[in-house]
Amino acid sequence: MNVRAQLVMVFNLDKCIGCHTCSIACKNIWTDRKGAEYMWWNNVETKPGVGYPKKWENQEKFKGGWLRDGGKLKLRALGKVPTLFNMFFQPNMPKLEDYYEPFDFDYSNLYKAPPGSDQPVAEAFSQVSGERIEKITGGPNWDDDLSGSQVYAVEDSNLEDSTLVADYGRMFMHYLPRICNHCLNPACVASCPSRAIYKRGEDGVVLVDQEVCKGWRFCTSACPYKKVYFNWQSGKAEKCIFCFPRTETGQCNACAHSCVGRIRHVGVLLYDADRVEEALLKPDDQLVAAHRDVILDPHDPQVREAARMNGVSDQWMEAAEKSPVYALVKEFAVALPLHPEFRTMPMAYYIPSLSPVISSGGDLHELADHGTFPLLEKMRAPISFLASLLSGGNQEIIAEILRKQIALRLFKRAGNLGQPVEESILKNAGLDEAGANRLYRLFTIAPYRERNIIPTQQREDQDSYQRSGASGFGILKKTRGPK
Amino acid sequence: MLNSFIFVVMPYAALALLIFVTPYRFCSDRLTWSAYSTQFLEREVLFWGINPWHYGILPVLAAHFLGVIAPAPIKAFLGNQNNLIVFESIGLALGLFALFGCLLLLLRRVNTPMLKRVTFAADWVLLYLLAAQALSGVYISTFMRWGSQWYLHTAVPYLWSLITLNPQIEYVTDFPLVFKLHAAGAFLIVALLPFTKLVHLLYVPFAFLKDPPILYRWRSKGAGRD
Repeated sequence: MNVRAQLVMVFNLDKCIGCHTCSIACKNIWTDRKGAEYMWWNNVETKPGVGYPKKWENQEKFKGGWLRDGGKLKLRALGKVPTLFNMFFQPNMPKLEDYYEPFDFDYSNLYKAPPGSDQPVAEAFSQVSGERIEKITGGPNWDDDLSGSQVYAVEDSNLEDSTLVADYGRMFMHYLPRICNHCLNPACVASCPSRAIYKRGEDGVVLVDQEVCKGWRFCTSACPYKKVYFNWQSGKAEKCIFCFPRTETGQCNACAHSCVGRIRHVGVLLYDADRVEEALLKPDDQLVAAHRDVILDPHDPQVREAARMNGVSDQWMEAAEKSPVYALVKEFAVALPLHPEFRTMPMAYYIPSLSPVISSGGDLHELADHGTFPLLEKMRAPISFLASLLSGGNQEIIAEILRKQIALRLFKRAGNLGQPVEESILKNAGLDEAGANRLYRLFTIAPYRERNIIPTQQREDQDSYQRSGASGFGILKKTRGPK
Repeated sequence: MLNSFIFVVMPYAALALLIFVTPYRFCSDRLTWSAYSTQFLEREVLFWGINPWHYGILPVLAAHFLGVIAPAPIKAFLGNQNNLIVFESIGLALGLFALFGCLLLLLRRVNTPMLKRVTFAADWVLLYLLAAQALSGVYISTFMRWGSQWYLHTAVPYLWSLITLNPQIEYVTDFPLVFKLHAAGAFLIVALLPFTKLVHLLYVPFAFLKDPPILYRWRSKGAGRD
């Protein structure tokens, strides 16, 4: 057993209102720079939709993630030697248009314009070329709230039947906030010829060393989530850094901190690094179970001993025990990895959305026997859609979680109304009263320090010379271009 | 005077810059150590420019180096008339391929508004210089035939005399101007290398081939900064 600790974020999609506050918080802190205008390390997509960059889920196009090749995993895109022969022109790299051409508006024209009979306007210009943009044709959330659904949402590869996008009786949507998943088997790391991308041993954060990166661009397409970006100004790759300067001091990531819906949980998971590859060789529909299997119980004495041997500090062990993430991912098993079939073992987990609680049966809702919710098969968001997104196509796993969410609501509803609580409702969903109350608390009223339990980095035992080199005042040098 | 400048001053100056500036830049400013790819902003023309350029120029460059490193076996190999003809033809074809690619890259920089803000003086200097170098190379291989043969008997001993710090420029002083321009261009490129994006030439990803796929850095084990 090779126990390692990982900082993990869980997103409760049932609560996301798609306000983009997280994206703005992230943008303001990290990517409000030249060359990074188009980057959204955190973005929120409307599902069904094509996302950002457009059609990032289509691995036939971008060749991201891993494939099973006999008894081994290999990158979908290129082997090592072919990589060297494609260094000059990277065949799978997404281009700027796949994201969008970043723009701003020439506000100075509003007061500088000469007198005339027309109202002066602030014209759009490209933040890349500086040229005027006649017509803006894309943005980071261009298909937000199903806008242009006939063009974008119908293209969502997770939809079994794309005609439902055009049918108001069957239409549904929910939001999907995305950051870098800080995977256990990151394809970006494996694809980097410069060996500039690495996973931090202590907390599992995946980072690009800006001094080592030479800009060969293989990571941008190898990441199946398209969460490594190419900075066209500095000529290097950049990505979400899990706000490590914040998490190292025990603060929450900017995106999670600013989340008005309080949908995010941050905490520690312990996992067995030796079993990651074996788990990823399982068939698609068994991947979620394999994920859960790799995650270890922090209360298990054997695990604790192995963790201590690997240098996991007491503080981290304590955080792992209290981890809200462990509760959601493993204990209650309500949070799922995004597209586990990409086989990077992503370490961001999603609680599938139950809403909208309307059936797709038309005006007369067909309700389940308990009389409040529609039958699972009749829910607006098809289980097959959620399964394609979050469980490698395994619909039973999704149904289990939805049943838990429904049972929880029925249980609390009965409590609020002072009605007797039927034991069987919880039991049938695999919950008990104590568990349901705990889950309810996590989903609703848990305060900041319960939603997020982030241990600080242990710096005391480190060589002070090393620390002085790693304290990080940020990048003060300019990469290139006019001063 | 011109001969001494091109064949003595330039190579030593270029070498000195390469030896001293490269480590200085590596230690002081690795943030600028990038190939500065523009594929993200424009890829259609780039494909037809960058691939011919690299696949043309790299074998030609390797052949130049091979002649310096191991002149004797090459001499023996090219002693055969057939070998010589094939070798020269391949060389010329690759040279033309590279020239085509380079000119396309030059036109691309001129014609793509998207690249305006990522194109700096150094990019223009390099593109013109490399195009001129490829052009003079193609000219030499076309009009001063059997260059791969006489290169071994003239330029190679001269380069060796440079390396042994005993420059004997009489090997090369009688050549026509175009050859001297080609030599001067080469030294200029070496001199510019540490100052420009050409530093990407100094990096070949050997570690990548043997490393395990997932790289870890442990703060506690002192493995690097982050």
